[in-house]
Amino acid sequence: MSDTYPVIRAVAEGSILVEYEEEVSLEVNRKARQLVFGLEQVSCPGLEEVIPTYRSVVVYFDPLQVDADTVRGFIEDVNANLMEIELPPPRLFRIPTTYSSTHGPDLMRVAEHTGRTPDEVIQIFSAGAYPVYFLGFICSLAYLGGVPEVLHVPRLATPRPFVPAGSVGFAGPQANILPVDSPSGFNYIGRTFVAVYDPRQFPPTLIRPGDSIQCPAVCEEEARLAGEKYLGEFIESFQNT
Amino acid sequence: MKAFRILNPGVQTTIQDQGRHGLMKYGIPISGAMDQRSFVIANLLLRNPDNAAALETTLQGLKLQALNKVTMSIAGADLDPWLNDQPAPQWTAFTMREGDVLYFKKRKGGLRAYVGVKGGIDVPEVLGSRSTYLRGNIGATLREGQILKSCSFSPGDSGGEVGLPQEYRPDFDRAGLIRVIMGPQDDYFTPRGIDTFLNSIYRISPQCDRQAFRTEGPAVEIAKGPDIISDPIPLGAVQVTGDGRPVILLRDAQATGGYAKIAIVARVEMDSLGQMMPGDTIRFQRIDRQRALDLLSEETQRLTRMRDFLK
Repeated sequence: MSDTYPVIRAVAEGSILVEYEEEVSLEVNRKARQLVFGLEQVSCPGLEEVIPTYRSVVVYFDPLQVDADTVRGFIEDVNANLMEIELPPPRLFRIPTTYSSTHGPDLMRVAEHTGRTPDEVIQIFSAGAYPVYFLGFICSLAYLGGVPEVLHVPRLATPRPFVPAGSVGFAGPQANILPVDSPSGFNYIGRTFVAVYDPRQFPPTLIRPGDSIQCPAVCEEEARLAGEKYLGEFIESFQNT
Repeated sequence: MKAFRILNPGVQTTIQDQGRHGLMKYGIPISGAMDQRSFVIANLLLRNPDNAAALETTLQGLKLQALNKVTMSIAGADLDPWLNDQPAPQWTAFTMREGDVLYFKKRKGGLRAYVGVKGGIDVPEVLGSRSTYLRGNIGATLREGQILKSCSFSPGDSGGEVGLPQEYRPDFDRAGLIRVIMGPQDDYFTPRGIDTFLNSIYRISPQCDRQAFRTEGPAVEIAKGPDIISDPIPLGAVQVTGDGRPVILLRDAQATGGYAKIAIVARVEMDSLGQMMPGDTIRFQRIDRQRALDLLSEETQRLTRMRDFLK
């Protein structure tokens, strides 16, 4: 492990930011997830929440109950044995998706940009299983990575003000399924009708960091039928770690 | 119990409480009343639990009619409330009889008023809170004709008609100076950029809501980025977007994002910030973390004294 990382520092009154190597990779992200998992097992008074992102972890605490140095001590202790922390087994979600210009306003553009036919774009994208780095932004958005290089297309210069919930798209190596209607600058090529976010359930999504998501191509009718089912029905298999 | 009917929802009225906590890892913002201090006071005046849901009404226009005898309170912004043909009391509990009409005529100071009802507003909890979060499809803005119920409470526990002394009423005119703790990505900006940030007047742009205040003013010079590898966004984070303008993230903000954060607003400022509106000007003032902690404990002690007074 590198000597300079992680960088651990207090941010504002009630949070500590822990940063691993400055890159988006599964290897670095795994450290962030291991730290979170480890911290969730220890009992530290005043600790409110621990959140992983690509390469960082933020630890929120109540500064009137516990001081930053104490929280830092807990973080350092867990980090010292990071590699021994076992993560829950990852799962594969296969979420039926319909791909077309009707449901994917950027399908033709992506085809042009990549020099492939729309069918090839769909075939390449739907074959991939994309790892979930973390959940965030709004409404449990899963930050997916690993889009094959042949499909790397930059974000739109001007984000679309409205993209419907369930839209499936990507930009650069990143992909997402929009949990709710949102503005977005990603390139959307299809749509699923399966609810990936439901605030009336706890947790509001079943997807966890470390899982993978595949969006197999189905016809629109089948995609709509799948939309009547619960997200949990699309957990296909346990993957090997 | 049916408490009141909304005759006019005003510019924007939502139901809020202390918010959802511990769900940022699911990308769920904390939401809740934008001015927590005034919200809690509205409940304390009614001897409600701190977290009882209340209305958060913005600017003007809310009009509601009591459907029963209800005990109410109004705290926060002065939106010139009228009870039938008389000015309604603020910062104290008062009674509405069946048929009485409460109307918020016009903003006089602050932006958001809290309308509390004895027992709290009865709507289902979603993810542990009754707070409306519009983007997340949790709750909705109030509609004309909507009937709101209040939760039951023990009759012996009626609200004292104790008004809040002047010394405990927040002063919304103080607005202007917003204290911040620098970081975590202030090293993404040039020394000149930091200087611009701390010595310029920024105006809150019309693009502002419960998620964020965008600002207008001199551009902060960026040394690298401003894109970072997306990381968590603490409450009150001040991001700088590509155009160099600071954006202050509020209670309905996204949990993670990819712009460099030059500073975080001190916690004691968040309630006053929740009372600011487009056109208001702010200047950021740097304080260190220890000073921010001292201010936070002072504020907590003040709240404790106020709580004891209202008991």
